[in-house]
Amino acid sequence: MIFSRSIKNYRILGLYIILLTPIPVYFYLGLKNRLGPDPVKFLEHKYGELALIFLILTLSITPLLKIFKVNLIKYRRCFGLVTFYYVFSHILIYLIFDIGLSLDLLVSDLKKRYYIIAGFISFMLLVPLAVTSSDKAVKRLSPKTWKRLHKLVFIALSLSIIHFILLSKTWTIELLTYTLATMIILLLRIKYKKYRLIFFNIFNS
Amino acid sequence: MKKLKYSDITPENYYINRRNFIAGSAVFSSMIASGLTQNEAEASISQLSPNSLQEITNYNNFYEFGTSKTDPAKYSKKLTTIPWQLEVDGLTNKKGIFDLEKILNNKQLEERIYRLRCVEGWSMVIPWIGFPLKKLIDQMDPKNEARYVAFETLYRPDEMRGQRYKILDWPYVEGLTIEEAMNPLTFLATGLYGKELPNQNGAPLRLVVPWKYGFKSIKSIVKISFTSEQPKTTWSAANPREYGFFSNVNPNVDHPRWSQATERVIGEGLFGQRRKTEMFNGYEKEVGHLYKGMDLKKHY
Ligand code: HEM
Repeated sequence: MIFSRSIKNYRILGLYIILLTPIPVYFYLGLKNRLGPDPVKFLEHKYGELALIFLILTLSITPLLKIFKVNLIKYRRCFGLVTFYYVFSHILIYLIFDIGLSLDLLVSDLKKRYYIIAGFISFMLLVPLAVTSSDKAVKRLSPKTWKRLHKLVFIALSLSIIHFILLSKTWTIELLTYTLATMIILLLRIKYKKYRLIFFNIFNS
Repeated sequence: MKKLKYSDITPENYYINRRNFIAGSAVFSSMIASGLTQNEAEASISQLSPNSLQEITNYNNFYEFGTSKTDPAKYSKKLTTIPWQLEVDGLTNKKGIFDLEKILNNKQLEERIYRLRCVEGWSMVIPWIGFPLKKLIDQMDPKNEARYVAFETLYRPDEMRGQRYKILDWPYVEGLTIEEAMNPLTFLATGLYGKELPNQNGAPLRLVVPWKYGFKSIKSIVKISFTSEQPKTTWSAANPREYGFFSNVNPNVDHPRWSQATERVIGEGLFGQRRKTEMFNGYEKEVGHLYKGMDLKKHY
């Protein structure tokens, strides 16, 4: 038992290392000026895009189990936290290298740019989820409260994709793919029965 | 970035390259005698420090080859630029289709080092080779009613893979008022860094309007027409609220989704500082008079 459990932990540790390696590797290449003429945008986009991809992957794990009976639940927390580290790196690149820690630029962006506002709210929603990711937190909150709290992730996903749509100049293939994936994930979550009931109630009253 | 002096541009390479470009191409061979003088080059280089050829040719917005900045360098090699024809149409006495070679035949090439400011909020400095648009317009003899000049990019999806997706309404079109087109700064480029224009930068013939956002400087031009009505332009047709016909660089008029007050300078690495965007991209003295009395917030 102990042995198999520690193998499982090593596996998850390995997964963390593999999934997070791109963060320092890309940053190192950026420092060495090997990311093309515009390393700031490269890192900002790369971390942002990977954050979105990992968010979508995290939220595919439950449907994968329910529909295709593929069980990756034990990796879900790892994917969720990896998502958070990418978002965090993305925002650090924005704050430190893109706007050069200028409070003026930050404030004017937050007041005026809808895509920054959407990204910012998305980040604010992801913080409590990352903080309450441990087993301890699940127990402390009670699993029911924890589950309800973590439904926020769907709002975070919606705002992230809105963030991406708003900052894009055209509909690229990548953007279409992520938007479609997001819509599928959200649609799978809607509980048809419940909504039908609500509709009936509205019409009958 | 350090200020480049003339001697820093590795003169040997520079001049060998220049000779190559002049001697190496049929289009250019007729112009050996008409290179730029050293004085001209020196005067312009001392003001702005150009980005490296590597940067200029690997950071391009040329959606005909894909939406990523590195797509044009990757996918533009297939583009055939010889032979190339330019159609002249509309309100002119010289309608017709002309070989580019013929058009370039009697043009004296010069170098212009301009800052290019992209609407996305970055800039770089490019040493173009070419000639003022005015020279071509004079030759084309437009009629008096011609108030605008319209430009069109090549449409050839089998060589321009980005055109297979309808992300924009192809072919790409742009336009200028006739006064803007005749301004001495307005330039048609056929080369850069002393070499023939690389495909990803809009070969074989592109517009350069340095006081406007980069997307106005249409690439790989196949058609120029003179009109009395303001011509359609691709980006303002795609999104009229965000991109206007004029699209002059203006730090005081923000793009609805981002600020235009500052710009990131390409080539300064991770720790580069933003620079303040200048009115008309620093060319106010030369072009400000074109817009006297105009509400630039309305005519963005
Ligand atoms: C405070 C929060 C955030 C800020 C300030 C922020 C800022 C930015 C900026 C400045 C860009 C580049 C825009 C440009 O092209 O100039 C960007 C792109 C992007 N961001 Fe964010 N962001 C935030 C949160 C997020 C979150 C939570 C996600 C998703 C999980 C995300 C995903 C993306 C994606 C996918 C891109 C586009 C990448 C690409 O073009 O390939 N961002 N963000």
